[in-house]
Amino acid sequence: MDLDQSKQELIDFLRTIQRPDYPHAAIDEESGLVESGLIDSLALLQIVSYLEQNYGVDFSERGIDPEDLRSVRSIIELIAREAVS
Amino acid sequence: MFADLKCGALTELESGRCWSSQDIYARIAARCAQLRALGLQRRDRLFILYGNNLAFFVDLLAAWNVGASVVPVDNRLTPFELENLARTVLPKIALTDATVPAALSDVLESLGVTLVGASGLASDQVPAPQASGLPCAVQLDDEALILFTSGTTGMPKGVVHTHRSLRARWLSLRHSLGIDCFRRTLCMLPTHFGHGLICNSLFPWLFGQDLIIAPSFNPYLLLRLGSIIDEQKITFLSSVPSMWGLSLKGSKPPQGRTLQRIHCGSAPLSAHLWRQIQQWSGIREVYNAYGITETGSWVAGTSLENFEPEDGLVGVPWGAVIKILNSAEPQSPFAAGAECAVGETGYVWINTPALMQGYYGRPELTEQVISGGWFVTGDMGLVDERGRFYLKGRERDEINKGGVKVYPADVDAVVERFDHASAVCTFAIADPAYGQNVAMAVVLNQRDDQTLRQLQAWLKDHLAEFKIPQRWYVVDELPQNSRGKVSRAAVQELCANLKPVDLVGLLRRGSLS
Repeated sequence: MDLDQSKQELIDFLRTIQRPDYPHAAIDEESGLVESGLIDSLALLQIVSYLEQNYGVDFSERGIDPEDLRSVRSIIELIAREAVS
Repeated sequence: MFADLKCGALTELESGRCWSSQDIYARIAARCAQLRALGLQRRDRLFILYGNNLAFFVDLLAAWNVGASVVPVDNRLTPFELENLARTVLPKIALTDATVPAALSDVLESLGVTLVGASGLASDQVPAPQASGLPCAVQLDDEALILFTSGTTGMPKGVVHTHRSLRARWLSLRHSLGIDCFRRTLCMLPTHFGHGLICNSLFPWLFGQDLIIAPSFNPYLLLRLGSIIDEQKITFLSSVPSMWGLSLKGSKPPQGRTLQRIHCGSAPLSAHLWRQIQQWSGIREVYNAYGITETGSWVAGTSLENFEPEDGLVGVPWGAVIKILNSAEPQSPFAAGAECAVGETGYVWINTPALMQGYYGRPELTEQVISGGWFVTGDMGLVDERGRFYLKGRERDEINKGGVKVYPADVDAVVERFDHASAVCTFAIADPAYGQNVAMAVVLNQRDDQTLRQLQAWLKDHLAEFKIPQRWYVVDELPQNSRGKVSRAAVQELCANLKPVDLVGLLRRGSLS
């Protein structure tokens, strides 16, 4: 799996759900997605759906550790661990 | 209980702080003394600019013991909106803390409102309680709460509840629902609106049950809901449908079997989601709770022996009589033939001792909705042959964004004042996370990028973020009906076939240039 490509695709996806007036700098990999104001809180649901649809991750049994969705880096690490190839 | 208040323990979920009833009584007494020393008197009004924490509940009861009425304020409002509220209500004191944006404090200070910090007394500063329970200083027909539901950008609409109407709500809920299942109640709903404050929090807490209070709509807590229920041994929680998206997807179900009941309200609950909540929680007692701020929130629900989740099913009244009438006109709700037949859809009217006193400073508006003690809700419904109440839709002009109501007129009022806007119509669009979101169609006399960016800045200055339209359509004109009135439904239909403004791209180009 090409994680760099996954990261870019994730960032492109985040741009489609971000707050419109979030300052357009490069999205920081380490910053909290909700805390930084990039997305509003319920947009996390769209990230969950994105991971399910694009990487086959099934959260229904295991649940989600909120820390896994906190930043771009943590999501990429989740994908690296859990993605169904 | 009728005038006495006996509260349970309070736990703040995030910090883990816990105050016993005795702690709380002592803190209330101390805060009372402080507020009196600052000049607060009976019938004064007090703003509380924070919520969902221990201090909020102490300060609320302290203000009530002075005889003041309380306006819980959503601190996401813009200074423009807050100034509008403050000029309407003229609070004497506003309670603020570190979570409140400085701009809000500044606008209140400029209006001569006394600002007071939160009552963060350390444990060793809290005086020993003088007596058990609370001094009984409440007069039942005094104003207790003013909850602003709309009009923050124009003419504020504030629902006034007295101590009498609140107690009527709580006593009728206790009669209809019992109290045992509320032993350990979790509140994750905002304390500045009726559902979260009057019913999810104050009802169980002021009957001596323990309240566990959490920040509202926090996604990371929703992803841990099952663990929270187990760790805190939660027996009851209330919710709105949009909360469940995250919890059902990402939270392991609770394992500890402490849950006895869940309510879900403030937005339509589909049968599908209803069953999912029952399955996840492991309990059948998931009730669709119907409530309106004007009736003290929960006024009916599915407290039935046997029921299957159905779209629109609410159930039975709680401390109210519900009638379905064929008119929404207040003049003669009970004219001959006014009542709909069993199974026929009509306008939902409610009679309850928990009815609001009225809209603050708006007697003409109050008269439009209350007639002979009956309140017209703006909802459509029916009662079936088993006596079960169903909701069939809303006539009210509101957008339900995840349980929080956004009023198109509030948004229109702001856009209309933008220099380059000649007409606007705000309307609802479907949203995968919130259920509904806010969109607008606007006619502009200049359509360049710079003007659109100025409009975005105008909206940010005048509207709380959750009200700002997320999708814009710039149009040549707005469709009108035969009476020359803009039809929101027709605007929705028009925009369904149009391409919206690329807001993200627009603002990005602006920040780069």
